[in-house]
Amino acid sequence: MTDSGLPLRFRGATKHYGSQIALHPTDLEVAAGEFLTLLGPSGSGKTTLLNLIAGYLAPTDGKLYIGDREVTNLPARSRNIGMVFQNYALFPHMTVAENVAYGLTVRRRPKDEIARRVDAALAMVELAGYGNRAIQQLSGGQQQRVALARALVIEPDVLLMDEPLGALDRQLRRNVQLELRRRHEERRRTTLYVTHDQEEALILSDRVAVMRAGRIEQIGPVTELYRNPVNSFVASFIGESNLLPARLVGQDGAEMRIEVAALRHTLTLPVTAAPMKAGLADLPLQVLLRPEHLVLDDAGPLTARVEEAVYLGELTALRLRLDSGADLWLRRLTDRQISRGQELRVNWQAEHVRLVPQA
Amino acid sequence: MNSSKDRQLTGAPAPWRWSAQIGANLVIAFLVLPILAVIPTSFNASSFISLPPAAWSTRWYGAFFADAEWRAALWTSVQVAIMATVAALALGLPAALGLQRTGPLMRPILSGLFLAPMIVPVIVTAVAIYRTALDVGLSGTRIGMALSHAALALPFVVINIGVSLRGVDRRWQQAAAGLGASAWTVFRTITLPNIMPGVVGGAVFAFISSFDEVVVAVFMAGYGAKTLPVKIWEAIRIEFTPVTAVAATFMIVLAALLFVLARVIDARRQRALGSKAAQAAAGEDKTAHQGVPA
Repeated sequence: MTDSGLPLRFRGATKHYGSQIALHPTDLEVAAGEFLTLLGPSGSGKTTLLNLIAGYLAPTDGKLYIGDREVTNLPARSRNIGMVFQNYALFPHMTVAENVAYGLTVRRRPKDEIARRVDAALAMVELAGYGNRAIQQLSGGQQQRVALARALVIEPDVLLMDEPLGALDRQLRRNVQLELRRRHEERRRTTLYVTHDQEEALILSDRVAVMRAGRIEQIGPVTELYRNPVNSFVASFIGESNLLPARLVGQDGAEMRIEVAALRHTLTLPVTAAPMKAGLADLPLQVLLRPEHLVLDDAGPLTARVEEAVYLGELTALRLRLDSGADLWLRRLTDRQISRGQELRVNWQAEHVRLVPQA
Repeated sequence: MNSSKDRQLTGAPAPWRWSAQIGANLVIAFLVLPILAVIPTSFNASSFISLPPAAWSTRWYGAFFADAEWRAALWTSVQVAIMATVAALALGLPAALGLQRTGPLMRPILSGLFLAPMIVPVIVTAVAIYRTALDVGLSGTRIGMALSHAALALPFVVINIGVSLRGVDRRWQQAAAGLGASAWTVFRTITLPNIMPGVVGGAVFAFISSFDEVVVAVFMAGYGAKTLPVKIWEAIRIEFTPVTAVAATFMIVLAALLFVLARVIDARRQRALGSKAAQAAAGEDKTAHQGVPA
């Protein structure tokens, strides 16, 4: 057993349900010890992908490898994978300790070894002394930790988590996120984590795969997805975004000219502002302006009226109505009172603007 | 929604509530009293059935046990019911498990087939079973009787276990398999403990449905497998003595006992869960001051 688990590979893995395609042919590599988050709306294929790895589903086509071993047709019980389910799926007729011990009991480990490892696992999730409790008597957060202990006590090669924090309240969720992250940094174990909460993905992951309609739209470090989304879907799923319809009106050398009707402006952007160089002219395009990249500037090129001012604590979000009738969101540190109806001028830096295909 | 309904009921004027109560009690009396009436007649001192008995006696209980034919019939019934229950469980449990995994197209068809013995008129089933049993030499045997009763009891088992299977989360089974358990281990350690109430309930229904079955039994009994209901039926046609009331009383008491037993088992299970919960709650208080680091 290595300290970092095993790498994971998908080779054209596909899942069909009759004519319905849950997962299009997918290639995916997860490094040993990596924390990869699958992010996407429900029905985007995240859970299908996870179930293929766990062995609860068999792929229609393609191959799966854990380490050097092909596991495509290996039953779930032989894969040595730890899974934390959305609602934990703890066994209701067993105590906390019996739940955690289950994977060791079915492996027929000696009794004293089981007791020792269960105690250690419970101590790790800070539930020492809770072994004799009934599952029904634990809070949601405690159940979540029992589920984690149960998955980790078998020393899995890969850890899978399917929206494990979905049932927790916001404050607790934040605590557990930080705890999971700390635990992963202490002991890096190959982990696939499914969520539809982008903030969670940001906090936890080495890399994020954004999924939609059975496809991985983009995979990479969070900062990369944030800075250079491949399309408007990824742009809107990672971070806040203003997306405005745009048209490529000219391209010469390292620069392109983009007409944005909503801004009543033609922007000149470096070609690096788009995720690809060729074929842009044939695609419906949008410019991406992050709300935090817009600034109030009396010398700015745009005039706008404040439609809505939302106080978010240290930040204020403003919904601005442009002359063209389009709306833009702007976020800034709260330093002065801005109220509805106020006229403002808005500016941005060209390097922050992205051009993305509409998707 | 439920709570507003409750409010409406408890908020109804008192006379309405009382009359509803009285009506409900009348219905229960209508259903239960004719059955219970058999019991006092079995303690009748005279040779005729009369209610209430003019004088009390247990002489007919003595007569019941003095008669080898009655004793044999009771023993046959018990044997047949046990065999039928075992057979119905052995068939019904896999059937219920399989039905749960069947696709939405086949499931209604298959469950219709499994429930057919309940829907098809018993006399039709009886004739069919009798005809087949003659061919294979099972007519007039206890095994043959038990197998026919197992067929009739199958729906009870499939339904009872099917209902409790709906309370079993598929992800428990997935989680167990993912933790390394074989299909058999998953069944033994996860599925079975969680469907036990359905298994016990199905077994009780199967036993009782066999124990008081008369239509198929009349066809199948012959000389070798005369069950208690068949013997009662024969006895009544010849002479209606209180011995038949004694036999009927045994049937009622046994059925009632089994239902009570099933309830007690269920209640003990609930209590076991409850006391585990209570212990846990007490423990929570003790450890509360240590805090639970998040």
